[in-house]
Amino acid sequence: MNWKTVLRLVSVDVKSGRLIRGQRLRRYRERRVFQYLLYGGACVLGIAVGLGGGIFYTAVPDSDLRTLFYEGARLLFLSFPTMVLLYSLVFTTMSQIQRMGVRSSIQLPYWLPITWEEHTLASTIAHLIGLPLASIILFSSAIATVSIYLETTPLAILTILTLLASAFLASTTTEIFRVLQTRLIGAVYKSSGKAAVWVRFLGSLIFLIAFYVVWFSLTSGGGSIALIEMLTSAQEAVWFIPYVWLGVALASFMNGLLAQTVIFSLASLLFILVLFYVAVKLNARFGLYEPPAITVSRGAYVPKVGFLGKLGFSSLEAAVIRKDFKAFTRRRELMYVFITPLVVILVPLMQYLGIYGGPVPPEASRFLSAWILLAPGAIMAVMLGTMIIGEEGGSVWLFFSSPITARNLVKSKYAFIIIFSCIVMLVCGVIGILIARPSLDIAIVLLIESVLLIFALGAVSLRAGIKGADFTEVPRPRMVRPLTVVVYGLLCLLLALAIFSPLLLHEVTMGYIPVPVSLPKIDLYVAVSISAVIAVIVTFVFYKIALAAAEKFLTEAEV
Amino acid sequence: MVSAGEATVKLRGVAKRYADIIAVDYVDLDVKYGEILGLLGPNGSGKSTTLKMILALIRPDSGSVSVLGIEAEDDPVAVKRQVGYVPESPRLYEFLTGLEYLDFVGDIYGLDASEKKGRIEEYLEAMELEGREGDMISSYSQGMKQKIALISAFLHKPKLLLLDEPLSGLDPRSARIVKDLLRKLTAQGVTTIMSTHILEIAQAMCDRIAIMYEGRLLALGNMKELRQKARLPGSDLEDVFLKLTGTEDVREVVEALLK
Repeated sequence: MNWKTVLRLVSVDVKSGRLIRGQRLRRYRERRVFQYLLYGGACVLGIAVGLGGGIFYTAVPDSDLRTLFYEGARLLFLSFPTMVLLYSLVFTTMSQIQRMGVRSSIQLPYWLPITWEEHTLASTIAHLIGLPLASIILFSSAIATVSIYLETTPLAILTILTLLASAFLASTTTEIFRVLQTRLIGAVYKSSGKAAVWVRFLGSLIFLIAFYVVWFSLTSGGGSIALIEMLTSAQEAVWFIPYVWLGVALASFMNGLLAQTVIFSLASLLFILVLFYVAVKLNARFGLYEPPAITVSRGAYVPKVGFLGKLGFSSLEAAVIRKDFKAFTRRRELMYVFITPLVVILVPLMQYLGIYGGPVPPEASRFLSAWILLAPGAIMAVMLGTMIIGEEGGSVWLFFSSPITARNLVKSKYAFIIIFSCIVMLVCGVIGILIARPSLDIAIVLLIESVLLIFALGAVSLRAGIKGADFTEVPRPRMVRPLTVVVYGLLCLLLALAIFSPLLLHEVTMGYIPVPVSLPKIDLYVAVSISAVIAVIVTFVFYKIALAAAEKFLTEAEV
Repeated sequence: MVSAGEATVKLRGVAKRYADIIAVDYVDLDVKYGEILGLLGPNGSGKSTTLKMILALIRPDSGSVSVLGIEAEDDPVAVKRQVGYVPESPRLYEFLTGLEYLDFVGDIYGLDASEKKGRIEEYLEAMELEGREGDMISSYSQGMKQKIALISAFLHKPKLLLLDEPLSGLDPRSARIVKDLLRKLTAQGVTTIMSTHILEIAQAMCDRIAIMYEGRLLALGNMKELRQKARLPGSDLEDVFLKLTGTEDVREVVEALLK
């Protein structure tokens, strides 16, 4: 194994993540500050948390409270390895899913004298760059700092080492998953023929939803506390699962069982080596495997006229809408847009139905129905709007070189956002109505509000999508600049509140939301009308702004 | 619109800079109606930037570009409607099938259904893509993608073709079809500007050749005129090109590399 080669390959991967589109495409800019800001921030935050904990521990006069804190910290240490393992698995798997759809993603140069061991090790380490590494730094710096006050330095060192090992274990598992799924997908394409596109779409959707629901169940509110409790108490009971061996080794060390500590540490090391060996062998076997072609259509070609023409769209605009529909159902890296709205309703629903978390009072159904009917469509509109231009990627040259006007571009993209978001709203709305059973009045009002939000936020986010479009596709499609997402995300939130505020006022004046003063009642339909006026103004203004931005975008195309 | 005897493309004092790099340096160029003009030059000489300015993809910093009688800066969409463009290494929508991509391009240019169907089927057959047209483009080879890009440029019967390395990756049969097609289109009044590094193709196909170097137009003319300018009577285009661009030190470079 040539370690220099491994380091160089990791560095290539890191640099590929820094490709940020500047205003002048000819100038490649590396923003090192931002790259290390995440790790620096994690370190500072970790030290601050550790200092806070340590100062609290030394300042507390009550010895019982000190003991409680001490034991609590030790238990937390104990849960860290498995927790980092789970988090790293989620982060690295999600990062792989986003990369999978891009064929031109970093292809390690197979024609160079690089062994599969070097390739696999570099890939495994590279998976950890970013959020996984930041979380390790955060936990490690907090542990190291607080351990000075708790006088548990040896335990802290061992915990930090197990954190690193856990992250590597997770990353190696992801590497195996990545290679296997490529091969598996090939087999699915082959066996499902023309249906492969839909099999892939539904399969990816089910996988991602299950993944996120489990993730949110584990990490949200009481779920994370339950997870820590479960990890500290249950990992010794399931000691035969190799993935908890690191946690068991740490628990053994805490209990003074040195022989057991050594055995489980060595067993963990051996397990990691075996997994790494499996990853190397799988890469050597399937690393160059290309899934077979997906055949979407066979037989005579019949151009589709479609119903979009009847709705007033030109053939050009209808073509762009149809193309985008195919993009969002065929490109795996775009499929995650479906996940957020679905998870947004699934998690509160699970809570509501008592599947996890504490029981929800019956009066919450009014707010639950409001949430389920309003949120998915609006979130979908914001997500689609911000990425709808950047998702064109390198193929955007066709837009610049063909006779597409700013009006065509905005009309077709905006229509796609509205149509798609309304479909999501209707599907989620039906689920919400069936489960939360709001009154007919409330259901109608919420559906109207949802449509208003979709139109208004769709226009705002489309403007964001044009302004912040990022066509970088390597190592994963960026689609929109992060700063644009933050700024326009906040703006969308404020505008959504402004649009919804008349209804909130109605809720307050009708006494559904208790306030200390009595206010004159606002009729529901008056509130909806005011809300509609605000939404129409926002839509109109931002549609016009989007048009102006599209004009600039098309005329200043520096490709 | 322009007719025979007139210039399809007129560049007057066209310049384009990228920060401190001069991409195109005050170029004047007339491309005649119905001719094939070869645009040659070393890497970074400004060929692609010139093509993009003709297509109104890039605005020149100074000067004017007139295409088929339309000022590119004033009405870029009208220019794009008349032009078929193939960029160097075109990126296609890989999630579409070849057929869907061509159908999409046909709709973008407003072809009616029967016209679009007829042309797509003819081109797919000519380029030997039949049988693979229903597969996603992601599974296509580089040559197949190039064929799809070329078909999409020809599909709407443009009056001006701007082709950046059009024969790159094509098999000999398809390359021959494209060359013959371009000659036939020329006879019908279609003007072609073709950028290429393959000098044999340029010499065999082009009516006139423009040689660019460091953003400037070094030479323009047919083979006879270029030979005269280079003072190399009887030489082929490669020797003429190397002489005019001052890069004829090839032998020394090769010998240095072999040391």
